[in-house]
Amino acid sequence: MKKKVMALVLASAMAVSLTACGGGGSQTAETTAGGAAPAQTTAAPAGGGAQAEAPAGDGGSLVYWSMWEATEPQGKAIQAAVDQFTADTGISVDLQFKGRTGIREGLQPALDAGTNIDLFDEDIDRVNTTWGQYLMDLEELSKAVDYEATANAGLIAACREVGGGTLKSIPYQPNVFAFFYNQAIFDEAQITSVPTTWAELDAACAKIKEKGYTPITCDDAYITCMFGYHMSRLVGEPKTEEIVKGGQWDDPSVMATAQAYADFASKGYFSDTIASNVWPAGQNQELAMGTAAMYLNGSWLPNEVKDMAGDDFVWGCFSYPTVEGGTDGVDAANYGAQVLAINKDSKNAENAFKLICYITQGEYDKMLSELSIGIPADSNNTEWPALISCVKPVMDSMTTRYPWAAGAEANADMTPIIKENFLKLCGGSIDAQGFVDALKKAGN
Amino acid sequence: MKRNKGMIILFLTPAVLMFSVIFLYPIVRTVIMSFFKIDGITDPVSKWQFTGLANFTKLANTSLFRISMWNLLRIWFIGGIVVMSLALLFAVIITSGIRFKSFFRAVIYLPNIVSAVALATMWLQYVYSPKFGLLKTVFSGLGLDSLAKVQWLDNDHKFAALLLAYCFGMVGYHMLIFASGIERISSDYFEAATLDGANKLNQFRYITMPLLKGVFKTNITMWSVTSVGFFVWSQLFSTVTADTQTITPMVYMYMQIFGAGNSVTERNSGLGAAIGVLLSVCVVAIFWVCNHLLKDDDLEF
Repeated sequence: MKKKVMALVLASAMAVSLTACGGGGSQTAETTAGGAAPAQTTAAPAGGGAQAEAPAGDGGSLVYWSMWEATEPQGKAIQAAVDQFTADTGISVDLQFKGRTGIREGLQPALDAGTNIDLFDEDIDRVNTTWGQYLMDLEELSKAVDYEATANAGLIAACREVGGGTLKSIPYQPNVFAFFYNQAIFDEAQITSVPTTWAELDAACAKIKEKGYTPITCDDAYITCMFGYHMSRLVGEPKTEEIVKGGQWDDPSVMATAQAYADFASKGYFSDTIASNVWPAGQNQELAMGTAAMYLNGSWLPNEVKDMAGDDFVWGCFSYPTVEGGTDGVDAANYGAQVLAINKDSKNAENAFKLICYITQGEYDKMLSELSIGIPADSNNTEWPALISCVKPVMDSMTTRYPWAAGAEANADMTPIIKENFLKLCGGSIDAQGFVDALKKAGN
Repeated sequence: MKRNKGMIILFLTPAVLMFSVIFLYPIVRTVIMSFFKIDGITDPVSKWQFTGLANFTKLANTSLFRISMWNLLRIWFIGGIVVMSLALLFAVIITSGIRFKSFFRAVIYLPNIVSAVALATMWLQYVYSPKFGLLKTVFSGLGLDSLAKVQWLDNDHKFAALLLAYCFGMVGYHMLIFASGIERISSDYFEAATLDGANKLNQFRYITMPLLKGVFKTNITMWSVTSVGFFVWSQLFSTVTADTQTITPMVYMYMQIFGAGNSVTERNSGLGAAIGVLLSVCVVAIFWVCNHLLKDDDLEF
């Protein structure tokens, strides 16, 4: 009799503890349910975030999900800003470094599950387009502290545009995508002014090639940008997107772009290994090492290769040249930023905005730009890191904003195919007609 | 022993509950999701748009998806043959009584432990590099200049490069499974066969192979499951944007659910779910075929 009772008690204790476990498990299962079968990667941050309630300090608390890793220079600068913020205001901040994939995969599920997140950051387009429904309108908060007085007007305008007319995110660490070149090679080839038209670029490449250098190199990661930029120079970015999404490969601009690049390929202006450069081979082994002159890349490039390029490397920058018969000028480029945004369900909007001001203005904005060799967001920080001072004139001259790759990657089903064939085109194994045919064939 | 129904139910309940919630529910939900268009994967059901079989027909009509399935088939078939043959060969050698057996076993299995990221970086930036890579230096050293000039990472060769790198890492794992299967066979059979005059090749063909049927089934199933989930290596060989030569259905599914690498593209988690359903059906089909072809119910040893 006693044994039976003992057995029953133990069994029910086990059942209760297992169901409690199962209960907690089913909550994580709930948030990961949608992603369980397809998502191999961890959607665990969603469950983990649910438990990460910031400990309440004197003045309250904030939860901040950041796209950086704690070890990255941006992460360090943000941590410093957060620490100072807590010291000054007494508001404790639960700063979680989620990394790129952590945010891209886990942020939306966490927000859907009602996780307490006050602010987060990511790329300007993703925050405003993909997660636009979760954002708080920041117009009032920004006016209250007159934020725009010291912010980059072009970036704020971009944030408004992408936010559908209202300001829903605050930019930091701006970047611009343009041609970066080795000033020493330009000097040696006696190129005194940067090319502003395709014909001038052609001439510059010829001079560089004569001196024995590779005029232009690229990697598979950025090759579609060259296609996109050329197309957008010809017909503008909205039309480029239309062509890419709609599969209108018969448009004359596609053939014109292909012919321009086939022409450059036949003249030997591209690196020998451009067709097989797996990033970062081209930028590390060719550009940074001084054998190649130009690369269409982002303003993060000098920082990425600074250890390989060495202290003597002088960078130059110019915007993608205009193309004859085209609509867009050199004042159009893909420029953007990382942005900070506030969760529309946040109860601490004012404090969150205060923290945003700490990170994107003054001393810590300067620290961020110095540590990551990036562009400061605060217009009061007039001194740019020496390595990217060449970018300032380009950035200041921008008036039209392209999204990433100027529309070339707008169709996920076609991106690998454009990439494959454009690499072959630049490598010389197919001609312009071959390129267009391959795209048409693959266009479902 | 008395059967106590109450006890059985009590003990089974937690396990059944966990199983239904963690395994059954996601499977059912995914199958249902595959009939809808869904933007964010955690969108509430009210936001789902019913599209019937549209997801499946869209997949059939998308050339990129067809390319990814074709890549998967090649990885599974060609990679499978290469890996299984090598694994079997190594397993037979290792169990044939050579010296330093543990050392060889450890060395062959080592790539399997090393992180895929580290391995892929080594292959991409060192072995296959057209400037100073291992293959280039070896081939140049041997005087095979035409081979040395081959750009292993350009579009024509990338798939072979990927497959080679992947198989290199996978041989050890399957070799261990084969080795354990061979070691289960009592040496009495081999001794008897040797006494009766059978050579090593005959012994392999008539004793080892038939008695390894079950292990073959295991290996083929494991290989199919890992092949279908081929993701990390694809991502590593084609960095931020996918590549036609390395894309697999899992990569395509990831793009559909979480959006492309850089641009903001249209997402459809329902499409991702449809891919998941298709892949599961494939694995189940392979398993069923295997079970029927490699019948080992009558084996007893």
